[in-house]
Amino acid sequence: MRPSVRTSVFAGFAGLSLAGTVAGCAPSATPGTPAPAGAAADSSSPSGTSSSLASSGSVYRDGTYSADGTYRSPQGQETVGVQLTLASGTVIAVKITEHPSNPNTRKFQGEFSGGIAAQVVGRNIDELKVEKVAGSSLTSGGFNEAVEKIKAEAK
Amino acid sequence: MPKPGWDDFRFDGIGTPWEISTPRPLDASLRARLLAVVERYDGDWSRFRSHSTVSAMAREPGRYELPAEAAALGRLYRSLYEMTGGAMTPLIGGSLERLGYDAAYSLRPSGSALPAPRWDDVLTWDGHVLTTAVRLVLDIGAAGKGQLVDLLAAELQSCGVDSFVIDASGDLLHRGPDPVTVALEHPYDPARAIGTVQLAGGALCASASNRRAWGDGLHHVLDGTTGLPVSTAVATWTMAESTMVADALATALFFVPGAELERTLDFSWLTVFADGSAAFSAGFEGTLFT
Repeated sequence: MRPSVRTSVFAGFAGLSLAGTVAGCAPSATPGTPAPAGAAADSSSPSGTSSSLASSGSVYRDGTYSADGTYRSPQGQETVGVQLTLASGTVIAVKITEHPSNPNTRKFQGEFSGGIAAQVVGRNIDELKVEKVAGSSLTSGGFNEAVEKIKAEAK
Repeated sequence: MPKPGWDDFRFDGIGTPWEISTPRPLDASLRARLLAVVERYDGDWSRFRSHSTVSAMAREPGRYELPAEAAALGRLYRSLYEMTGGAMTPLIGGSLERLGYDAAYSLRPSGSALPAPRWDDVLTWDGHVLTTAVRLVLDIGAAGKGQLVDLLAAELQSCGVDSFVIDASGDLLHRGPDPVTVALEHPYDPARAIGTVQLAGGALCASASNRRAWGDGLHHVLDGTTGLPVSTAVATWTMAESTMVADALATALFFVPGAELERTLDFSWLTVFADGSAAFSAGFEGTLFT
């Protein structure tokens, strides 16, 4: 595994939010989680990977595991660090650390006509009336790679 | 199909699934013409096909004539090369051998890329004529798919088809009277969307890094060295008249803020950052969920 030189970390409460997202993808493991669980589990998204991890019961030893994954962004090769805390086969905490080799510093100073959203919000595509989807499903290659390493390590 | 009763023509081209939707089915001869355009484009520009012009350029320097579309592509790449300070370039770095142009011509890339050569040192791109000073690997990946969408649109319109949606795996071109509603895919979850946009006669393209770094409710990615929020772009969308331009600018937004690009180029943009925030031009006003 490559050495972890981490230049950024999530704030703790933020990590818990993501933990909720990931753990929530486990089929029927988190009954309190609404629709996104099913939708995400049906796709081949990273959520699916997480759910197989979380739903595998005692296959994985409890503990906190870290691994790095790599992926390509338009700016080139990037590395993402993933730290998962497992308890009884369920992901209870996730920390993502970025290693931005090409930080694209934002320079927006309100000079343009348009806007800034403090936080974008996701909704299930299935619940929307849309005719097409525009996106770039380059999602999660690095994340999945790191999760696979952790799965191997945690057995 | 984007509209009830419309017909979808699906095929694979330049390594990705395509879908062309029209009010009435396209006849066999038009389908064949469209596929021929795809095949011709790939045959000229693909760096993965040993008989392509681009592959010939990797084997020896010289003067290469490409089809007419090369002129617009070259102008676009040149201006983005300059606007991004060389970050966006059609010239691939690294040794040719490392990229698979070895003696066995394995075409299997291995190893990480090295910096690209400087454009003016190695390439003169004059209209549809490219003159190379050294063996080089040309990669038009940031705009090629969009340009092929435009070429297919021209083919459709020349055959009298004026209403259609071309979907090149998420890069879209719409023509006709009825707008289509398009979901903007969540950067980290293909099952979700962060907004919807009405596409009425124009192109909508997207680009994303797959940096899984935030989720809903996740507001603060902190840079450990500065303690400040990281503001790296993770997903971009663009709308423009030309799909080629929209496609290329979706990538350019990873290097240059949209506000800067729109001073020179006529397009709308939306950039989502690693901390889950977003910035957008007037054309994307009101499209994001709140």
